[in-house]
Amino acid sequence: MKLGAVTRGVFTAFLALVVGAIVLELTGRDAVEVYRLLVEQSLLSPGALADTLLNATPLIFTGVATAIAFRAGVFNVGVEGSMYLGAFAAAWVGFTMTEWPPGLLIPAAFLAAGVIGALWAVLPGVARAYYGVDEVVSTLLLNYVATSFTGYLVSYPFLAPGAANAMSPLIAPGARLTRIAPPSQLNLSFVIALAVAVAAAVLIYRTTAGFALRAAGSNPRFAQSAGIDVRATIVMAMVVSGFIGGLGGAGQILGVNYRFIQGFSPGYGFDGITVALLVRNDPLGAILGALFFGALRNGGATIQLFADIPIDLIHVLQAAIILFVTVEPRVTGWFARWRQRPTKLSGTPLPVRE
Amino acid sequence: MLANALHPPKLAMKNVSKRFGAVQALCGVDLEVARGEIHALVGENGAGKTTLMRILCGLERADTGTVELDGRPVHIPDPEAAHRLGIGMVHQRFKLIPSLTVAENVILGSEPHRRGVLDRRAAYDQVIRLCEEHHLEVDPGARVGDLSIGLQQRVEILRLLYRKAQVLIFDEPTAVLTPQETEQLFEVLRALKEQGATIIYISHKLWEVLQISDRVTVLRRGVVQRALPTSEADAAVLTRLMVGQDVAPVTGEVSLPAPQGEPVLALHDVWATDDRGLPALRGVSLTVAAGEIVGVAGVEGNGQRELAEVLVGTRPLVRGSVTLLKREISRVPTWRRRLMGLGVIPEDRDREGVSLDFSLADNAIATRIRSHPFSRRGFLSRRAATMFCRRLIDEFNVVAPGPGTLARSLSGGNLQKFIAGRELSFRPTVLVAAHPTRGVDVGATRFLHERLLSLRNQGSGILLISGDLDEIFALSDRIAVIFRGSIAGVLNRHEATRDRVGALMLGRRGEDSVA
Repeated sequence: MKLGAVTRGVFTAFLALVVGAIVLELTGRDAVEVYRLLVEQSLLSPGALADTLLNATPLIFTGVATAIAFRAGVFNVGVEGSMYLGAFAAAWVGFTMTEWPPGLLIPAAFLAAGVIGALWAVLPGVARAYYGVDEVVSTLLLNYVATSFTGYLVSYPFLAPGAANAMSPLIAPGARLTRIAPPSQLNLSFVIALAVAVAAAVLIYRTTAGFALRAAGSNPRFAQSAGIDVRATIVMAMVVSGFIGGLGGAGQILGVNYRFIQGFSPGYGFDGITVALLVRNDPLGAILGALFFGALRNGGATIQLFADIPIDLIHVLQAAIILFVTVEPRVTGWFARWRQRPTKLSGTPLPVRE
Repeated sequence: MLANALHPPKLAMKNVSKRFGAVQALCGVDLEVARGEIHALVGENGAGKTTLMRILCGLERADTGTVELDGRPVHIPDPEAAHRLGIGMVHQRFKLIPSLTVAENVILGSEPHRRGVLDRRAAYDQVIRLCEEHHLEVDPGARVGDLSIGLQQRVEILRLLYRKAQVLIFDEPTAVLTPQETEQLFEVLRALKEQGATIIYISHKLWEVLQISDRVTVLRRGVVQRALPTSEADAAVLTRLMVGQDVAPVTGEVSLPAPQGEPVLALHDVWATDDRGLPALRGVSLTVAAGEIVGVAGVEGNGQRELAEVLVGTRPLVRGSVTLLKREISRVPTWRRRLMGLGVIPEDRDREGVSLDFSLADNAIATRIRSHPFSRRGFLSRRAATMFCRRLIDEFNVVAPGPGTLARSLSGGNLQKFIAGRELSFRPTVLVAAHPTRGVDVGATRFLHERLLSLRNQGSGILLISGDLDEIFALSDRIAVIFRGSIAGVLNRHEATRDRVGALMLGRRGEDSVA
């Protein structure tokens, strides 16, 4: 089943690339050449590969966070907000508890980020589960609150001394995550992201809580009649989703930026939605989905410089992916029928086994 | 009556065979249906009825065989082709969009338009005309999601008529209907037949087949046993053809006298509303003792659904109390009730009995995920789930490839066996069984009845809600009749007769009922 999700994801990504190629050709560019450059600039040298993993890291966090909520049937589009608040919490721990040893400081920063991100998701979760408030609307709107509120925090109370732009002070050196492959900024948060994805997969597929989550998402009425507290499960899914979103924010601050900068996320939370959709909400699949987008972002940035291909190509691919995921049931239906076509048109039927 | 060269039958399927993996679903099947005929296709679960019809609708392709319409061979590679040929099917699971109106659902896929713009007015007019022509009363402006199952089925029929279907296939259409709705459906079928429609009626409710059809074709294990005029058939003949042996109908022999133990389930003055907020239960009081089966008889729609939901805990009480094993549970959540030993065979198997997108193994343990041996310290044991599911499949004769199969791919009857098996396997102290054998074939019904009786003999209390009086009489120690949300009367088994129960079901007092 999990393998199926990945295969379908690969198939969808392939279709999206075909659409991208058509768009490229229509705008008078050599699609093959552009894709060759993309691959070269994102995978074919150690430096490029490291940068791809770097770009994939936040998307693993947000992809997994989104996937967990979607699995429970909650359309949480507020991972971005959890990420902003988590990032600020991690930064605050990093520039405030400067005396703590790294072994305490880093876990504390991640924990603070996760908890704040989770708390942020409680409100829309409870509102949805117990009062029927549409979570798409509430989480989407709360994103603005989260980005603006953290922006305010680093513009006034926590503005770095002497800084002109809205950013917090630098975090203590002990709070910074080890860089794995200099000169790339790739750092330990990539490994943490992988661990989070694995933990999420275990949660979903191997635990009773994960079972409840999947049951609530796949058929809430049955889940309730089977004895699962669907409302509590929805809140739990939101909390876990927000927690992981918060961790993603911490990863960016402690691993890349070393301080909270207003607008540090170019929309990781939203890219996470595409990642989750692409891999049908499978946490391990989200790693691959994030790598795919990480490669696009990384390679895309380079070819924008060299080949004058606007990075908007990535948005075309994202849109195509969402489209294909939406229409997929129909497409796989055709495919199944094509595979089922009769191979033998004549012959005597076999006797029935008694 | 039989077709000849000058008057070919409306539909002829010849020598149709189909294999699924190791299973030969159909083997050289012939089917002939005349114009304006209601042709019943009967057989047990897995006999191949649905597969044959799916081939006719272009949803499956046959390995061998041909289809002829009006004597001309036709090729049906996909559902679109079936539509063009005027073949349409009313499925067991309706294929409607709940948020759209009746008219919108009817026209969906072939909308009337003026220069590419949907002509809403024409759509409504056409649907209204269609309703009138065929005496199918339904409000074209109503939202489909708000309609009863019976009315939704009408919308499905309208959809087919709108697309000019001449061959209409009904796949166990009464499985989801109340008795009144069934009667109304029969009227509709007769009217359609008068107007020259050709109808194929899949069912295993023999009395229905005998009542409505002109001819019957009996399938068993993918082979046609016989095709005969209904006038030459009776229930015994059909049963023998279906199961391949003489089966005594399930008779009302309760094997042990009721031990009359302690009450394990008690309702006192229970009031509850239905989905629309109208009172559905009005002061129901009822007890079930250990080692007793209490049958709840009644015309469907008199509060049975709400009664079951109140007991499961998915519908709140307005007033009154429910006591399970001496504990007041009206505010106790479902999961705790289940831990206390409550089992439930729900009425709506697709929506409440399983998750269609889950594997059978997952569905098998869904009601017990927090119990040994299915989980330990919050972690699930896949092995335990798989083993338990295998046992369930074997013991209850569920036709399914294995525990990894998605519930969606099972036929309705097999799903019912699976759900009933799951609930029975946990040996609940109290079982609420709503229509436990609905859609299940004769052999499996008998098996499930035996299991229900043996659960009772082991000391469990069972509340049996059923629309099938035969079932109620076959199993119940006491029979409670529900009418308009209250218990019209409770009869002991020996004093219950069909007349008395029937009178109570219609809201008349038992005494003056002999009619």
